[in-house]
Amino acid sequence: MEWKEGHAKSITFIVTKDCQLVCKYCYLVGKNISERMSFETAKQAIDYILSNKDLYSESSVIWDFIGGEPFLEIDLIDKICDYIKIQLYEKQHHWFNSYRFSFSTNGINYHEEKVQNFIRKNHNHLSIGITIDGTQTKHDLNRIYKSGKGSYDDVARNIPLWLQQFPHGGTKVTISSPDIPYIKESVLHLYSLGIKEVNINCVFEDVWQENDDLLFEEQLIQLADVIIDSEYYKEYACSFFTEFIGKPMDKVRENQNWCGAGMMLAVDAAGMFYPCTRFVQYSLRNKKTAIIGNVHEGINQNLLRPYLTLNRCTQSLQECIECEVASGCAWCQGENYDAAETNTIYQRATAICKMHKARVRTNNYYWNKLYRKLELEGQRENFEKKETSVIC
Amino acid sequence: MLQYLVILLDDTSVSYCHYENPKKVKRLISLSDLKAGILFAMKQNLMIQFVYPDYEIPAEYQKEIETIDHHKIAPQKIQLKNADVVVFNSCKEFSTEKTEENKDKIFVLRANGKDVARNVSTFAHDGRLNIIITDIETFTENDFSLYKETLEQLKNTVKEIFLQENSPQVNLLTDRILLEKMNNCNAGIENITLAPNGKFYICPAFYLEDENDTVGNLTNCIDIKNKHLYKLSNAPICQKCDAYQCKRCVWLNRKTTREVNTPSHEQCVVAHLERNASRNLLLDLQQLGAWEDKSIKAIDYFDPFEVKDKF
Ligand code: SF4
Ligand code: SF4
Repeated sequence: MEWKEGHAKSITFIVTKDCQLVCKYCYLVGKNISERMSFETAKQAIDYILSNKDLYSESSVIWDFIGGEPFLEIDLIDKICDYIKIQLYEKQHHWFNSYRFSFSTNGINYHEEKVQNFIRKNHNHLSIGITIDGTQTKHDLNRIYKSGKGSYDDVARNIPLWLQQFPHGGTKVTISSPDIPYIKESVLHLYSLGIKEVNINCVFEDVWQENDDLLFEEQLIQLADVIIDSEYYKEYACSFFTEFIGKPMDKVRENQNWCGAGMMLAVDAAGMFYPCTRFVQYSLRNKKTAIIGNVHEGINQNLLRPYLTLNRCTQSLQECIECEVASGCAWCQGENYDAAETNTIYQRATAICKMHKARVRTNNYYWNKLYRKLELEGQRENFEKKETSVIC
Repeated sequence: MLQYLVILLDDTSVSYCHYENPKKVKRLISLSDLKAGILFAMKQNLMIQFVYPDYEIPAEYQKEIETIDHHKIAPQKIQLKNADVVVFNSCKEFSTEKTEENKDKIFVLRANGKDVARNVSTFAHDGRLNIIITDIETFTENDFSLYKETLEQLKNTVKEIFLQENSPQVNLLTDRILLEKMNNCNAGIENITLAPNGKFYICPAFYLEDENDTVGNLTNCIDIKNKHLYKLSNAPICQKCDAYQCKRCVWLNRKTTREVNTPSHEQCVVAHLERNASRNLLLDLQQLGAWEDKSIKAIDYFDPFEVKDKF
């Protein structure tokens, strides 16, 4: 789970659009090496944010650094983080003792001295996630160098160091159509590396082929069987199996937006502000970028209003509003915008529908099987108590 | 459900709403498109509103127009005798050219906030007056204060006319008192516009901004993408609002927030200043024994967005 999930402001610096890899599913369709953030731009963004306390009243903040690959810019990041800390102190800002620096990295240069120095310096305020897609075959299917060579070996060698420094480190795995046959072995492989929390999601884009849902279901059933039969559930988690999904949702009480676009803020090398990184031009296939301001003029609050008032029902078709397995069916505002028939963020993309339904079926299977096992072992009550305390 | 078809007879047809019409070159709708538009309206059961330019249109057009029930919206300048709606494009034009003989017509006065503030004392009119503020999206805190004062003065003027046993109607003040639910412009839902190029648009403003922003033509009919977003039920802020007189202009919404279903802060504050001034007028009139069955509650916000967490 993210630090202070839902309560912290998330501010993302897109420090570079360069990366060592050219992952096949990468949503960054316009990656390049020329756009690198200057310290001056980062400083202007920080000054704007910290001097507008009324606009950012959340009790905590996550300063997120992404790329491309953020650790390619470790010197710049170190300077930015120092500046943030000094400013928080000097301004006696309410975030002074409630901040995190967060990174999603491909892990390739994790071991390098500069990165390690940075980690040592900021360890108590750091979250780092390394993306590893599963087995070598699965990982190297997508996560390749410009030369075509897979990156698995270069990432896997850094996993022990990372887990030693962040024992609760989790990883994010993204599933697209060609990845489906590798799901089970990939999750188990990540467990075998010592990664206890595997956050795994299907992409929101319309990539799915006929019968993908059935193949997906088959993989997840097999995975469920292993997790339960080998009792991985006692220590390991896989986000595909989440008890409270697949239920109908109340139109009034459960009408919140899923995605945090607009609650978050992203800034790029040119000093432009965005509601989230998915609205930056390099992330968009079909639509024009959705800039909401810049470091000189600040944010146009009118442009934020649609994001801050979006709710589930106003962006969903009747079919989704009335769906009997609606809960847990996620969406990404950026993909909604990119795929919409008009220039709106209010048209929910539903490419994921059949995959969600397959996930719900296997999720039901998982919990029915698990609870029966625990019941027979007399462990059910204990397990339920533990689960509730985790959720709280 | 569609109820009205707006037909712009010419590219220079007068603006009767928030948008400006920058077009200076005349381009009449073709006679065949005019006929097809009328036929479409007949088949769809739509009331037509013809919007006139400031020159006299050819006789064969006039003849065609008279073949169907309709309303005529015309600029004051052409003095169209049988116009239903007369548009004045400034306060000056309104104060010097409105005439007694036009008293039963609907007057539309388009002017910017400062112009209205300067001239509000000349607005006494015992009939229907729709005031369209043309620069809402640029309003600042100072403009809001000025507008509040303007509405207060307008309220006193309306009250005076009531005291003379007349029944004035000014959209900004009396509509909210009389309405019991939202009565927005509803472009795209209740009305649609046929432009001189023979294509359909959400409203004239969409046509004037970008001719490619069409939602259909006379051959293939109307196809509005994401049509639900024009409905009140899909407008998260407006849905919770009780400034019933607000036009909820979808064009201004898109211009200021990029979404047709989301209004700007300026739009909401202006509409709430009107709402609150309407309430003051109602309270005054109730002291005189009028409209005792009506009520508008006191509220402590000017922009429903500010109270969105309580929705
Ligand atoms: S005042 Fe604002 S919220 Fe209310 S109807 Fe008008 S635009 Fe919508
Ligand atoms: S959308 Fe409606 S209120 Fe706005 S300019 Fe067009 S006709 Fe007028």
